[in-house]
Amino acid sequence: MSTTPVITVDRLNLTYGDFHAVRDLTFEVRPGELYALLGTNGAGKTSTLEVVEGHRKPTSGTVRVFGHSPQDRRAVRPRMGVMLQESGFSPDLTVRESVGLIGRLSGRTDDVGRVLDVVDLTGRAGRRVSQLSGGEKRRLDFATAVYGTPELIFLDEPTTGLDIQSRDAVWATVDRLREDGATIVLTTHYLEEAQQRADRIGLMHQGSLQREGTVSELTRTLPAVIRFSLAAPVPALPLPAAVDADGKVVIETFALQKDLHLLLGWAQEHAVELRDLAAGSTRLDDVFRAISA
Amino acid sequence: MLSIASSELIQIFRNRLVLVTSLIVPVAVCVLFVRQHETFAAIGSLGYIAAIVTFTVAAFGLYATAVTTLASRRQNLFLKRLRSTAAGDARILTGLLLPVAVLALIQVAAILTALAVIAGGPSNVALLVVAVLATVAMMIGLALATAGLTNSPEHAQVTTLPVTLGVIAVASWVGITGTADLAWVKRLLPGGAATELTRNAWNGGVAVTDSLLLLAPTLGWVVIAVALATRLFRWEPRR
Repeated sequence: MSTTPVITVDRLNLTYGDFHAVRDLTFEVRPGELYALLGTNGAGKTSTLEVVEGHRKPTSGTVRVFGHSPQDRRAVRPRMGVMLQESGFSPDLTVRESVGLIGRLSGRTDDVGRVLDVVDLTGRAGRRVSQLSGGEKRRLDFATAVYGTPELIFLDEPTTGLDIQSRDAVWATVDRLREDGATIVLTTHYLEEAQQRADRIGLMHQGSLQREGTVSELTRTLPAVIRFSLAAPVPALPLPAAVDADGKVVIETFALQKDLHLLLGWAQEHAVELRDLAAGSTRLDDVFRAISA
Repeated sequence: MLSIASSELIQIFRNRLVLVTSLIVPVAVCVLFVRQHETFAAIGSLGYIAAIVTFTVAAFGLYATAVTTLASRRQNLFLKRLRSTAAGDARILTGLLLPVAVLALIQVAAILTALAVIAGGPSNVALLVVAVLATVAMMIGLALATAGLTNSPEHAQVTTLPVTLGVIAVASWVGITGTADLAWVKRLLPGGAATELTRNAWNGGVAVTDSLLLLAPTLGWVVIAVALATRLFRWEPRR
């Protein structure tokens, strides 16, 4: 497999009037990886995605998709599928007509029936888009993105508003596409989805990339946490600890296994009950809170 | 382009409101003019009736429908969706406007044929075709420009009024009073020269070369409208 990046973003800047939405953003997406672009609200990820998808011109900097300008629709679009954040389908067309139209215009070929089957909308094929539920509209959007099995797929909050079954079905389809070598760019508010599936994550805040790396690279920078509450006064703790707003004891550590062992040994020795004991490595949520704090 | 056009045609026929305003209303008005052709020919001439019929369809059937369609496709992000495919902007706009333009041409052709059968035909059919096509081109250009100033299909009911009422007023004025006086004022107003051209084509009596000069102001309006459209047209709703 080629190692030339599928997407290259170099010193991208985007301004709307006085508002600097994206500042000096540089990143690349490699073939076959799932790159999650995450960020707080207003961090600039949708603006970034719109430039990379070719919907918006950068104020400065360069963006290349498969080596072409993303504005070059003829060269780029047949190779990429886009799931927009907001649907954009005509309410008066049926599901089958919508997939057929957008699919044909993508420049790829596929069977509409097959695609509807993949997103479980076969039973809704003859319905007008205006009669679909929110989740069905998301699946319709997903159907147009995967029509013709493109090499690159943009998923802008793909699972927002989907029930668990639909969400699992979407990810099962994405997994199959990835087995065939597809590259995925994902934005989502469900951090656990990114944590589970992303090969690499770019964390945006106030228009620039604050952190980038694999999930473990990102979470490793923050300590793991042990939490518990105490029913009665106890002898001095074996580790430095703090008490949070709920009265729980909080221990932060970069050596979770060792310190947890020490704590449990101490509790056993002094016959102390550690109520609601919880210990875990840092989650992406915490990395998020740390950058926006 | 044809796949966009055919899906657009489906949408027009499924949306009753659009169907009524773009097809039935202009046709009803035109039927009135053709049925009462003796009265209206006495006020102006048969050429006046041909011009007012053309402008009624072009203003309500074509222009207002095109503005409403573009505003509505933009508002529900259908334009953005089309732009996320491999289709280019020109192809998208042509596909979206082709059905309304063709429907308008069919209506004009049918009504003018009816007028010709009932009251006698035009003296120069080729010139009449040119006049109708120039009118349609001008109204499409104005529709693209107006769509840029229109936020929603509801808003289109307001934003289309100056042009629809304006061109109907100009067509009536020029169609009834002719261009014996204030000739250049009348010809430079949008629709004025096209009305005179249609009148000449139907009534005859004017040299074809003189009539063809009347294309210049109409095509000038096309250029102005397209220039405005390139500055004003938006593909996505304002945030």
